[in-house]
Amino acid sequence: MSSASDQSNHERERQLAGVWDNLPGWGTLVAVNHTSVGLRFMATGMLFFLVGGLLAMLIRTQLALPEQTIVEAGLYSQLFTMHGTVMMFLFAIPVLEGAAMYLIPKMIGTRDLVFPRLSALGYYCYVFGGLIVLSSLVLEIAPDSGWFMYTPLSSSDYSPGPGSDFWLLGITFVEISAISAGIELVVSILRTRAPGMSLNKMPIFCWYILAMALMIVFGFPPLILGSILLELERAAGMVFFDTTGGGDPLLWQHLFWLFGHPEVYIIFLPAAGIVSTLIPVFARRPLVGYHWIVLAIITMGFVSFGLWVHHMFTVGIPHLAQAFFSIASMLVAVPTAIQIFAWLATLWQGRVVFGLPMLWIVGFLVVFVCGGLTGVMLALVPFNWQVHDTHFVVAHLHYVLVGGMLFPLVAGFYYWLPHVSGRMPSYRRGRWGFWLFFGGFNLTFLLMHLTGLLGMPRRVYTYEAGLGWDWLNLLSSVGSFVMAIGVAVIIIDIFLHFRFGEKASQNPWGADTLEWAIPMPVNSYNFSSMPEVSGRHPLWDTPRLPERISKGEFGLAHANNGRREIYLSDAITGKVTALIHLPTNSWLPMLTAGALAVVCLALLLKIYLAALVAAAVALMVVLRWGWENGGHPKISTVGEDNPDDPPVHSRTLDGPGLWGMNVTLMSNGTLYVSLIFGWFYLWTAAPQWATPDKAPVSISLLTGSGLLLTVAVGIYHKAVSRLREGNDSGLNQHLWVAAGVAGLHWAMLILAIVNSGLQPRALAHDAVITVALVYLAVHSGLAIVMTALQAVRAGMGYVGKALPYEPVVVRPFWIYTLGVFWLTVAAFFLIPLAWSVP
Amino acid sequence: MSTRRLAPIHLVLGLVIWSGWFVLLYGGLSVACEFAPPDTSQGARTWVNFLMIALAILLTGVLLYVSYRCSQWGLGSVPDPPGSPRAFIRKMALSVYLISAAGAFALAIPVMVLPPCV
Repeated sequence: MSSASDQSNHERERQLAGVWDNLPGWGTLVAVNHTSVGLRFMATGMLFFLVGGLLAMLIRTQLALPEQTIVEAGLYSQLFTMHGTVMMFLFAIPVLEGAAMYLIPKMIGTRDLVFPRLSALGYYCYVFGGLIVLSSLVLEIAPDSGWFMYTPLSSSDYSPGPGSDFWLLGITFVEISAISAGIELVVSILRTRAPGMSLNKMPIFCWYILAMALMIVFGFPPLILGSILLELERAAGMVFFDTTGGGDPLLWQHLFWLFGHPEVYIIFLPAAGIVSTLIPVFARRPLVGYHWIVLAIITMGFVSFGLWVHHMFTVGIPHLAQAFFSIASMLVAVPTAIQIFAWLATLWQGRVVFGLPMLWIVGFLVVFVCGGLTGVMLALVPFNWQVHDTHFVVAHLHYVLVGGMLFPLVAGFYYWLPHVSGRMPSYRRGRWGFWLFFGGFNLTFLLMHLTGLLGMPRRVYTYEAGLGWDWLNLLSSVGSFVMAIGVAVIIIDIFLHFRFGEKASQNPWGADTLEWAIPMPVNSYNFSSMPEVSGRHPLWDTPRLPERISKGEFGLAHANNGRREIYLSDAITGKVTALIHLPTNSWLPMLTAGALAVVCLALLLKIYLAALVAAAVALMVVLRWGWENGGHPKISTVGEDNPDDPPVHSRTLDGPGLWGMNVTLMSNGTLYVSLIFGWFYLWTAAPQWATPDKAPVSISLLTGSGLLLTVAVGIYHKAVSRLREGNDSGLNQHLWVAAGVAGLHWAMLILAIVNSGLQPRALAHDAVITVALVYLAVHSGLAIVMTALQAVRAGMGYVGKALPYEPVVVRPFWIYTLGVFWLTVAAFFLIPLAWSVP
Repeated sequence: MSTRRLAPIHLVLGLVIWSGWFVLLYGGLSVACEFAPPDTSQGARTWVNFLMIALAILLTGVLLYVSYRCSQWGLGSVPDPPGSPRAFIRKMALSVYLISAAGAFALAIPVMVLPPCV
């Protein structure tokens, strides 16, 4: 009997594997499942880490002794710029995103992320963008203005080569990946949790990742906007940062640090999530102060956006304004301290088992607390002035970033290694790596605080002997090599463990979270049946849960219809509301990323026609991608449902696409608000701000265009409202009319742009308006294309009262487009007009 | 006392308001200093400082009041059971409003001593 049951279970799992597995051979390149994509993100990130580390070794070799000429000044500038760029953009964020993409579905008890093809697109954008950035180093034309690319140093006057272009285009490309991961993680965490996993029962790691993902959604757009503006200035001569045309180089600093400071927390939060996950496991008790930690995470997510000017204390901002940022910088220490006390309290109250991951957690606590303390010192304006641009700042940021991110990351790697390999790491071998890294790190960077206090500026390629910096630099360099040996030992240890590691038992660390209910090494569908949870610690509450899952006692145990299925659940209660049919392996993400890479390369080579053609190809591929979606028969067939199952998401009005669209628009809106910020900033702060004598754009044309847009949105809105009420008569005609009226609006908008007297190469005023108008035209154009597609699909029966999903998803985009149109008219035309009236 | 459910937006609304306050302080200061800078000899006793302090007190009061309302929310005839998601949201919202009130006031402390446009 038992044998028969085992056999049927085996057959069922084979069926699931057949649906969820990657294609063999080269077909693995089209994998979209979160396990493969997450692991690829992490593996690629580690390779970039080695490149960044190699660059650091070259920097320390050069600085080991005074007056050395191993590396010349120009190359040294490329080295430190690329070291920072690679570590921040190509290692830290992607590797943590990869970890989150790998872990989140397993922790929340589902089989995949909610938009799998978006995961794959993100990965390929990351790889292609990273390779483009790195290629500049091989060609010896790498950017050399520092990883934050301050203008005017990075502008065409002072950086005439293509280095800055590689950075601006390549990093923007990589950021597509970050934002797509951010959107995907937010929607997945909120809408695909296991039945019963209400918001207050969510693993603490998910709160951290939710905050991180939302911070990516809001934090990256300012830099994307800044990069677009700087590239437009460099390539097309438009004025944004050049004072002679009414621009201001400080605008770049604002846009960069609006991203750059939250970025520190984007890196820290997931790492802190690893700490909050591991400490209770090794302390053998629940985390002390779950509510307090959630509160700290939410607070940190917000306050970290109010710190950006503390990177700009020396640029001449009024003292009172500096004080606001100084206070905010100190306030952010409070939620950090809450977490540290909660971790210490958990350890204090627990019965700590000291495994290899814990060694790295202890290292984290020591190093990160030191970095936090120097952070509070730097939040004090007078001290900040003293040590600005010295090695003290370099030491501080490494203590925060390496302490706050790398130590927990390695702890996490060791902790979750059995998941991937099915084998346990060795404490005996692993501790060598830890102590070499820990010792080397502190030797390198603790001493660097002193070098900085003694006045050594950062980014100098050499220094004179006898300034008191010699022995400190020598010891720092020795320390960096010890640290590098530590990294090598860790890598060797991990490789050896795949061969010699002890076989891991089920849930080898005695953890409480669902990812340990999965057989090891991990399979492609995670759970043989979808688990139900009733508490915050499912494996501690129900030790037999893995067995029950594996026997298929829960939902979606079969894959009879050959589709990848997961549950859609309520964001608050975790109750199941629908079934999601996920797309399977696809070449489309890779092709889209490939076309975008061609756009990027063509722009670098200034072959603009090729860039335009490649962009059109990318758009076509994306449209093809969107075609097999929602109500398309390949995703969802009418009349096929099992009556016992919840409805398929394409038959609901609250599917994941709507959430994805809303989160995307939040990100898009942040980019737009950053543009508005730039407009008002230049208007009030640019030293030579100038306006043209007469309005460069016809207000009447704009108003007419806006009224047509309003009518189009009204028609679309009405059609969707009727659909929501179950009335789809004349739906495709209504959609065609909405698209047609919007087409007239778009034509009028283009006419307004073409007939305008804008001089974007002469005046920052006109340059910002040009960008705003192009932004509107792009949005209106996209809304028209999406609506026309909806009309076609309604005609083909993919959209209707039984399948109302897609028009509901597109509606927020229309409303957004209408909102930004009138906001643009008000902010860029009406307010300045009112201001200039005597 | 209300028996209505507290919407999840309250988990972050306090800090959204705090963020708006932060932007208003920084942006408003820049605009005031650009278009109507007070006399530097007045030190911190300027209309800009008084306005900011008044707004800070008002906002802190509002946030404290909302926090108090959260503490009373859902305590009607059928209270949310402890450990329920709604009880969690109420508890978190209350704390977030309290923190936001403290943060809103903390930001205004330097306004009491520093001149606005120097």
